[in-house]
Amino acid sequence: MQKAISKKICLLGDFAVGKTSLMRRFVYDLFSDKYISTIGVKVSRKTVVVAGTDGVVELTMMIWDLGGSEEFDRVRASYLRGAAGAVLVCDLTRSDTLACLRTYAGELRSVSPDARLVLAANKCDLADRQQLTPAQVEAVAVGFGAPYYITSAKTGDQVEALFRHLARLLVV
Amino acid sequence: MDPAITRLILQDLKIAYAITDANLEVVDVGGAVDVLCDEPETCLGCSLPDMVPELIGCEKVLADILDGDLPRFELAWTNRETADGRTLYLTIVDLPYRDRTGCVAGILHLVQDVTEMGLVDRQLAQNRNELRLLRDQLTRQNLALAAANAELRRLSEMKSAFVSVAAHELRTPLAPIRGYVEVLLDGDVGPLNEEQREYLEVVQRSVRRLRTLTDNLLDVTRIEAGRIELLLQRTDLSALIKTITAEYRPHVEAKAQSLTLHASSHLPPALCDQARAEQIIGNLLSNASKYTPEGGQIAIGLELAHKRGFLQVSVADNGVGIPVEDQSKLFDRFFRAKSAVLTGASGAGLGLHITRSLVELHGGRIWFETELGQGSTFYVTFPIADVPAMNSGDSTATAEV
Repeated sequence: MQKAISKKICLLGDFAVGKTSLMRRFVYDLFSDKYISTIGVKVSRKTVVVAGTDGVVELTMMIWDLGGSEEFDRVRASYLRGAAGAVLVCDLTRSDTLACLRTYAGELRSVSPDARLVLAANKCDLADRQQLTPAQVEAVAVGFGAPYYITSAKTGDQVEALFRHLARLLVV
Repeated sequence: MDPAITRLILQDLKIAYAITDANLEVVDVGGAVDVLCDEPETCLGCSLPDMVPELIGCEKVLADILDGDLPRFELAWTNRETADGRTLYLTIVDLPYRDRTGCVAGILHLVQDVTEMGLVDRQLAQNRNELRLLRDQLTRQNLALAAANAELRRLSEMKSAFVSVAAHELRTPLAPIRGYVEVLLDGDVGPLNEEQREYLEVVQRSVRRLRTLTDNLLDVTRIEAGRIELLLQRTDLSALIKTITAEYRPHVEAKAQSLTLHASSHLPPALCDQARAEQIIGNLLSNASKYTPEGGQIAIGLELAHKRGFLQVSVADNGVGIPVEDQSKLFDRFFRAKSAVLTGASGAGLGLHITRSLVELHGGRIWFETELGQGSTFYVTFPIADVPAMNSGDSTATAEV
């Protein structure tokens, strides 16, 4: 019999890196070029079936899409409480969005020390504007002990793989 | 407090509440319940996490509240989408609900609709973020521009250095060529026949042209590097122009052109570098002759300029004129107007560029008037030496009444 569980995961990263776009691509398979800032948090859910240690698991991922503006720094701790996992998102076309992931990871670990991490380096479709290399992304991911994916919410590249990898980490 | 008043306050502030038991089952709802759910009756008996998706995964938080270990849990600015696609902003607060004995019997779940403020905050955040993105983009563009400018400057300096070296290297062998040609033409090593004289004069003219070209190239590189130094002296421009016209008269008369000079009387001296002033006026005169057909007229004028403190020199011809499409580029380096090509006039297109630079170094101005097929007039101004200080008023005499 399939086990059914729910886990909370958070999308973390600076503003306009593509957190909402990654969520919409994964949950609804939709994308829009229009940038609309997220304030506070939006929770969406998606159920995936993954192989756990004791058999197949029906995992409902409660995806918390957190606003990346610094104005919401002070409320972020309450959003992170109880998180089983997180996707750390940076923007390949803005180099400063990679370094600040350390801060977000640190905040998460202080509230949910056992949370599993995956790193997404987004907007790989904008090849002519990239400021970050895969090697730079890998170096930061290794520092977190986390896997990383080079994604594009626009084309869907590696988005499903990213969330499924996190899902597998959550059921182990 | 009167429950009716409590209800009114909760309605007005758009706050709904739900009270659960220790198993997180909803036992009571109230306030602005439409914020909580569409049908309040259906909430009773529901599990709180089932009703509030934001609480899924927060089992430990709820357990801590029930154990009395967590006094308050708040989720500000929670986004919810309505069926018609609108976004609602809610503030969610969970508190321990205590019974009459003071023990935690369940959870008091509060939800407030803060959509109005949320929409404003979202717009503010949007504007801020877009400005930040623009600022970052501008910073990157500025850095790229600065790098491109630095590279351009480096390339320009390399080019100037190359031109300077090339001009020097080309000029060096000209001296012995010119010298020996002059020796031959002077008959110092024996008489020449007509044909020999003619050929040597062609060589002599070609050497002069090449010398002028290399001098111009060197002037251009010096101007670009800011290495032109003017030796400013009080100069009688009328006398200087007479000297230049005497020098150019043979060339002008060889084309059967007339050359006249009209200078106002009692003009003050100019403050200029005499050699460079000769170069400026000589270049304008040379151009006037080049672009005027045989039998044409060239007139040089000298007078006080309209702008106080300056003298104005004009060189007018009745030659081919300058086409409109060439006028904006006339002073560009290496630009040759169509008329130059059509008339077969020689030159590398550096003369007017150098002339303008030299005029502007003097603090003067150069401009022209032209009409295709009718001719052109070029004007340059030179500063007057010893310009008296301006008086506070007019110097006209006034009669006593």
